[in-house]
Formats: sequence, structure tokens, C-alpha cells
Amino acid sequence: MNEALRLDTLAFLALYLCIAAAIVFLRLLPIDMSGNGLPWPDILLCLTMAWLLRRPAHLPAPVIGLVFLVEDLVTLRPPGLWALLVLAGSEFLRRRQSVVREINLALEWAMVAGVMIAMTLANRLVLAIVMAPQAPLDLSLLKLAFTVAIYPVVVLVLHFVLRVRKPATGEVDELGRKL
Amino acid sequence: MPNDRLNEADYVRPVRRLVLAVLVIVLGALFLLWRIDSPRVERFRMAFVDTVVPSMDWAMAPITQATRMIDDFRSYARIYEQNQELRRELQQMRAWREAALQLEQRNAQLLDLAQVRLDPRLTHVTGVVMADAGSPYRKSVLINVGERDGIVDGWAVMDGLGLAGRIAGVGQRSSRVILLTDTNSRVPVMLQPSGQRALISGDNSPLPLLEFVEEAEDVRPGDRVVSASDGGVFPPGLLVGEVVLGTDRRLRVQPAADYGRLDFLRVLRSRPAERIEHSGSLLRPLSLDGTPVTPTRDPEGGDDPAPATPGAADE
Repeated sequence: MNEALRLDTLAFLALYLCIAAAIVFLRLLPIDMSGNGLPWPDILLCLTMAWLLRRPAHLPAPVIGLVFLVEDLVTLRPPGLWALLVLAGSEFLRRRQSVVREINLALEWAMVAGVMIAMTLANRLVLAIVMAPQAPLDLSLLKLAFTVAIYPVVVLVLHFVLRVRKPATGEVDELGRKL
Repeated sequence: MPNDRLNEADYVRPVRRLVLAVLVIVLGALFLLWRIDSPRVERFRMAFVDTVVPSMDWAMAPITQATRMIDDFRSYARIYEQNQELRRELQQMRAWREAALQLEQRNAQLLDLAQVRLDPRLTHVTGVVMADAGSPYRKSVLINVGERDGIVDGWAVMDGLGLAGRIAGVGQRSSRVILLTDTNSRVPVMLQPSGQRALISGDNSPLPLLEFVEEAEDVRPGDRVVSASDGGVFPPGLLVGEVVLGTDRRLRVQPAADYGRLDFLRVLRSRPAERIEHSGSLLRPLSLDGTPVTPTRDPEGGDDPAPATPGAADE
């Protein structure tokens, strides 16, 4: 039985990787996803955050770092920086998973928004310090706003479609420990 | 901070911290390396993209197909509009067609009023084919017009469409026409649009040969063949037929005249072309009354030709 549940975690990890690959792949397609010049929300970031706050055991830190490093490389961002910031933000949220478990969606949304804003600011700050070229301020703020706005949608999709939910009281993990 | 996972093994937290620290260091180092030695990291990035992206080719095919289908669907949605548009255009075209027909009739009326003869020299005598006097080796017919009607040897004979042959032998009331397919028939022609001159020589087959084409590369099957006035036998510009490529890969001519149904033939009265007999002579100055001045020698001036004066010109 333990083996089956262990496989369950791995299956969810594989599902996450597949979705991440699909999102990166869609970014790479030569169809204009941004429409009329507006930035596209960072769905991958929302998905990672929401998933992490529900089932942190599904997403180990190296996987998150690797996925965002690949995204950095493929989307021609400065490699490593955004992955590092996402890793820091996700670890910050992972530590507060027990808190988030108790609060409702609105507060969780505010918390995640705060983390995302901090990540974006840190990103711009570091890029400014090392004097690397960066995206225009208005565009990155717009992207941040879109990303924050789409977070509840991603949560709903996770909850109802992918069935990744906050652990109920008394639920146990694959090794039989209390979550 | 309260931690619910108190039941995890003792070694888990340090290992997790170690892994996290390594990750942070690696990512930060990568970023710093990119900042310091950008070309090297960019090369690595391009190599990575190169290895990952081409394997996405197969994924692009359904997506491009879907995009095309969406475009097609859009065009289907517009089909009603297009139909209306085409109907409108058709209406306009009908109006133009009506206008063209009226203009054509008017043009015919005006030509009639002005009594225009397109080529006054090309009058013709029409005769009826009396007998197909041919044999497997002679392709000729007899027509019921002859010397009595002014037929002269060598005149061109046409049916309604194109050149059929020429008169060869005139009797009192009949004459013989040898067709283009006869082995004795040689007709100078011009090929259009390449403008080359050639010779049609009959070889008893339904498609006479096209010979002496200078540049056969410029001639294509389907080119028009019209008669040429070389040799002064035929009036130029009569339709002969079109070039075809025979089964023996030689250029041949499909005559426009319908040899299967030769009933009425037109004999074109053509005058013999003017011949220029004299070679050019010296251009001399004219005297006052318009006659050319004959140069004379001055009796005193040795060999020097005297300036031509009106007085000295009379001899």
C-alpha cells in the first residue's frame, strides 16, 4: 500500500512536470499569445505557488529550481536569477504551509501576491545593481498584476480539475504520517 | 514557527537545508557567471535550446494544421459575403458584355458604311471539289474552276480556315490542287511567336514535316504557323496550322485546313510579287529640271573631275 501511495506522489510530480513543459512549450510556439502587446500572465509561477501551498511534498525544491532554470534558459532571461528568486519565494511559502492551511483563499491570495511583488522587486533590484538590461517597468508591473489576478483561477483549476487540495484533518501521507 | 512535521527523521532537515544551499549557490553562481562572462553562458544557452527545440517539430505540425483549419473555417464563414460580392461583380460584367456586343455591331456597321476592304489584293474564286484524285502517293484534289475562271498555276488554295495547298496544273474548266501533305509540296512558312522561317514539306502523312528550323529550341508545340512570302509564291500571313511534336520526336505541322472534309476551296488570286531587277546605282546630284547630272571630264584639267555645272551636263 505504501508503494502505491509513493507512486501517487511521483505521479503528481510527473503531472506537474508535464504541465510545466506544456506551458514553456506554448511560450515557445510562434503564435502570438500576448495578443495586442500585453504581457501574458506567468501561469507557471501561479501553478507552482498554489500547488506548493497545497501539497508541498509533491514539489521538492530541486524540481522547482530546475523547472525555472529551464524556463530561464529557453525564454532568454538572465539564467539563474529568476529561478533563484522563485526558489526563495517557494521556500518562504513552504515554511508557512501550516499557516496557509488554516486561512481562507483571500488571505492566501494576499500572501502569495506579497511574495510575488517581493520577487519582482528583488529581480529588478538585482538586475539594476549588476546593470543588466531589463524589461520596461510598466510591462513588468502589468505582468505582475495579471499574474496575481489569475492566481485564484489557477487555485480553482487545481482544486476541481487536478484534485490537488489542502490536506483535510487527519489525512496521512504515503508513509502513514499525519499531514 | 510551529512545525507539524515533528515526526520526520532527524537527518531530513539538515539534508534539505544542504540541498537548498547548494541550489541557491549554483543558481546564484550561474547568474553571476552570466553577468561576468556573458558569451560563454549564452553559448551554453543556445546549445541547450538547440538540443531541446528541434524535437518540438512534430508538435508543431498539428498546431499549424489547426491554425490552417481555423483560417479555412473563417473563410467558410465569409462565404456568403463572397457570394454576394461575386454576384455584384457578375452583374457589372453582364453590363460590360452588353456594351461590348453593342460596340461590335456598331463597328461592323461603320466598316460596312466605309466599305473597308481589308486586303484588296486578296480576292478569291471559290470552287467545288469534284474528285479526290489522290492515291496513296499523291495527295491532290480536282476543283471545278480552271483557266476559264482565270486560275493561274501556283495560287494558294484555302478551305474556310487555313491553307490547304496550291494550284498545280490548270485545265480549261478544272484545276488540280496539291495539298500540303503531298510529297511534292514545299511551302515556306513563318513560326509565331518566335518569328523563325521554316519549310513545310509533305511526306504523305497527315502531319507534314517542319524542316529547316534554325533554332528548334525556340519552337514549341502549339506555336502558330503562318505562310511566308518567301519565293513570292504565297501571300504572307495565311494561317497554316500549329506546330505539333510527332511520335518520332520531329516537329510537324497540324494543318488548320480540314482535309477530311474538303468540299469548297477558295483559290486566292495573288499577283506575282514585284521583282527588283536592277542593282542600286550611284546617287547623283540633280540638275534644275530634275534629271540626274552626268559627271564629265574637264578637257583641260587632267584627271580632276570638273564641278558639275548645269551647262556641262548636256551631252
